[in-house]
Amino acid sequence: MTIEVDQDACVGSGQCVLTAPDVFDQRDEDAIVELLDAAPAAGQWPAVRNAAAGCPAAAIRVGA
Amino acid sequence: MTLADRPALPFARPNLLDLAPLYEVLRREAPITPVTTPAGDPAWLATRYAEVRELLGDKRFGRSHPEPERASRISTAAVQDGPTGDYASEATDHARMRRLLTPAFSAKRMRRLSEHVQELVDTYVDAMVADHDRAPDGVVDLHAHLAFPLPVAVICQLLGVPETDGEHFRALSDRMATFSGEDAQVAREEFGRYMAGLAAAKRAEPGEDVISDLVRAQAEDESFGYPEMVRLCVGLLFAGHETTVNRIGLGTLFLLSNPEQWQALVADPEGRVDAVIEEIMRLGAPGDLGLLRYAHSDVEIGGVRIERGDAVILSVNSVNSVNSANRDADVFADAEAFDPDRAERGHVGFGHGPHFCIGASLARTELRAVFATLARRLPDLRPAVGLDELDVRTDHITGGVRSLPVRW
Ligand code: HEM
Ligand code: SF4
Repeated sequence: MTIEVDQDACVGSGQCVLTAPDVFDQRDEDAIVELLDAAPAAGQWPAVRNAAAGCPAAAIRVGA
Repeated sequence: MTLADRPALPFARPNLLDLAPLYEVLRREAPITPVTTPAGDPAWLATRYAEVRELLGDKRFGRSHPEPERASRISTAAVQDGPTGDYASEATDHARMRRLLTPAFSAKRMRRLSEHVQELVDTYVDAMVADHDRAPDGVVDLHAHLAFPLPVAVICQLLGVPETDGEHFRALSDRMATFSGEDAQVAREEFGRYMAGLAAAKRAEPGEDVISDLVRAQAEDESFGYPEMVRLCVGLLFAGHETTVNRIGLGTLFLLSNPEQWQALVADPEGRVDAVIEEIMRLGAPGDLGLLRYAHSDVEIGGVRIERGDAVILSVNSVNSVNSANRDADVFADAEAFDPDRAERGHVGFGHGPHFCIGASLARTELRAVFATLARRLPDLRPAVGLDELDVRTDHITGGVRSLPVRW
């Protein structure tokens, strides 16, 4: 699995950080998303998919 | 369609937990439909999940109006009653607001706060237990003991508002959100003066709090007007407690009206609490209106043509609303059922898109602590009155109850 985040689209909601804290973080200064792990292990995949589906800005793209 | 033929909001609802049946009909037959607002003006009402979500993410809609004096008025309260902000600068003002506020309420910061929130909840539950032991009938008010004081204490601390002012700004919030016309406006102005006074005190003596940060940011940025800053602080204090107070009350009612769900939570508070609060967020709908937008250009959507300047009410639960989109059977199987185990995610209870709730992580932190603690410490909790005997604020934009008698 590969993950891309669109920092321009991100509205800093922190939903992804709550859903998959090992994969997503928020920058301290503006709360915009930061990717901690662009190719996470399979155990993380369900959480990542939920984070992508739940992102209120559609800023997370999950590839194969 | 003339104004008189349109359905008039609010639609009567059977009780605090269920919605008016008309919503189900509208979702099926007219997902974006012309209505009359409680203030008697024309507006569109969007009831279906797909359109509501699309509209929330559509930048051709805003909270300001190109010609504010001609805008449809929504209600006679002073919150979401009509357009706010300046049409020309809305986008930049909003971007600045998000930039200033989102870091202060980020998921990471809220996680750090959670221990403190837990201590507060334990203290309130201690007091509730003590009161219960003293009460001859064993009935205590969960609203007064927990649902109300917790969000107020937490938002006061974060914003740097003295907790002793709680009664004062609570009364002002209440008046602002009541469908009373002039008094609501007077209360909003009083709230503004109260907040301006507080901001002046922070300017003289800054603290480590959000209002001090905003005062500092305002002083450093010429395009950030003082009145805009004060308006923002009022909005934060209002949004920061009203909504959460209501979700604690409603959540308790949902759980206690579904005893098997309450028992499941009691059996595994830590494991189930997150799913439970998401389901509360999905279904909770204390007030009777919706989120408000004005079209900034002509838009074709859901089979209708919305013209520039038209008001659109989005039926999502929020500061002030009903919650049709989150009960859309096209999206949520057995949508009216309170079912934390449902597979579907993506409710729009905190909104969606650029205005997504800034306080979502804070609200979740509070709800989590409340419901896990109640399940752990008061497993035999049950309501002391029937749903139809509750004292509901029907004349009020955020709705909710004035008291919530429980026993165990
Ligand atoms: C369970 C409690 C809460 C619910 C249900 C809730 C719901 C919402 C919703 C639906 C919106 C979107 C409004 C729109 O699109 O017009 C929103 C926005 C907002 N909420 Fe909350 N909220 C809650 C708690 C809080 C708290 C605790 C705060 C305090 C920081 C807060 C601050 C805000 C702010 C500042 C906005 C405006 C964001 C923007 O316009 O960009 N909310 N909230
Ligand atoms: S969920 Fe989306 S909008 Fe929210 S912080 Fe993550 S990427 Fe940004």
